[in-house]
Amino acid sequence: MQNNQKPTVSSTTDLQREVAELMIECLNLEVTADQITPDAPLYGEGLGLDSIDVLEVALTVSKRYGLQLRTDSADNQHIFSSLRSLSDYIASQRTR
Amino acid sequence: MTPDPAASHTAWAHAPERSNILMLRVMTWISLRPGRRAARGVLHLVAAYFLLFAPASRRASSDYLRRALGRPARWRDLYRHFFTFAATIHDRVYLVNRRFDLFDFEVHGEDALRRLLADGKGLFLMGAHLGSFEVIRAIGRKDTDLRVAMLMHQDNAQKINAMLAAINPEAVQDIIGLGHIDSMLKVRERLDDGCMVGMLADRTPGNDTLYPVQILGADAHLPVGPFRMAALLRRPVVFMTGLYLGGNRYAIHFEPLTDFSAVARGQRDAAVQAAITRYAALLDQYCRKAPYNWFNFFDFWQPAPIAMPPKS
Repeated sequence: MQNNQKPTVSSTTDLQREVAELMIECLNLEVTADQITPDAPLYGEGLGLDSIDVLEVALTVSKRYGLQLRTDSADNQHIFSSLRSLSDYIASQRTR
Repeated sequence: MTPDPAASHTAWAHAPERSNILMLRVMTWISLRPGRRAARGVLHLVAAYFLLFAPASRRASSDYLRRALGRPARWRDLYRHFFTFAATIHDRVYLVNRRFDLFDFEVHGEDALRRLLADGKGLFLMGAHLGSFEVIRAIGRKDTDLRVAMLMHQDNAQKINAMLAAINPEAVQDIIGLGHIDSMLKVRERLDDGCMVGMLADRTPGNDTLYPVQILGADAHLPVGPFRMAALLRRPVVFMTGLYLGGNRYAIHFEPLTDFSAVARGQRDAAVQAAITRYAALLDQYCRKAPYNWFNFFDFWQPAPIAMPPKS
């Protein structure tokens, strides 16, 4: 599916779902999109991802949504802290 | 460092990182002023001390040497093992201070390494606690076109950075602390710059997925993380070790290990497992070739605390 317009605020939950599906697919997670709580931490006791998992998610979403991820961004840790913050970031920065 | 059952056994291995900075400055001064030969006298005392008063390290050394030498280890073997370790740690001081003139390096496999670097996309250098890592960084510092960034766990990175800052402030910037997403993106950035990213892939921080291998004829477990990262970032992997040969001589070996550049996603797990198996075979080969260079002074050959299939 190809999204050419910027999504509106009301589509945020759709986007969260879409990002959750993307994560499940790229990491072969044994959960469904509904089971990923938007505010649960991706690292550690939340989804239990390690930093290499998060790298894989980062590479996948940056390709899918045309994002530029920068190393010197102080926000990276926040962006990848939960499904909600990641989806919010995608919504604001996506180019496709 | 994340808690792990081997921590107490590895205490000595971490001693240089743990030592306080003032002591290190003093040691650095002693090493650099009176000269390498004089300072080396102290190393014999250090080796003797550990031989006598570090029973856990001695047991681990004895167990390892029996496997590597194919016969029971004698006291002189243990002494040589400890001395080799102390000597390589001590030589770091000179290497970080760019005293390459003091050493005689033979380098094997550099042409293959340069061929893999030719496309400017960088590569992973997988080392181990086998020989000296610092000599390889020295090659990188001597030849400006070969750049190495070291990736290691955050706590160790901070300690080592503090140590390097005490020895030579210039040496600090090429260490990336593993931990969160930023460091991963930094790794990718360095690779995109055509830089090599070095890792010691033989120890787990404690929570990494492990893969079973055979080294020196017995079961051991290696962390999956380093190779998974290389596969994800689709880069070639070169094995490396800087073996201490005695005196002022080191032999640096580069061996192409695998290339993840063209591995399809569905093939990734199998490719990662094959790469770890080959890495284990190379460890086996170099342990037999230079037995006193193995610096894992804890029970390396033990059942895995967690045995899960690799992720991704």
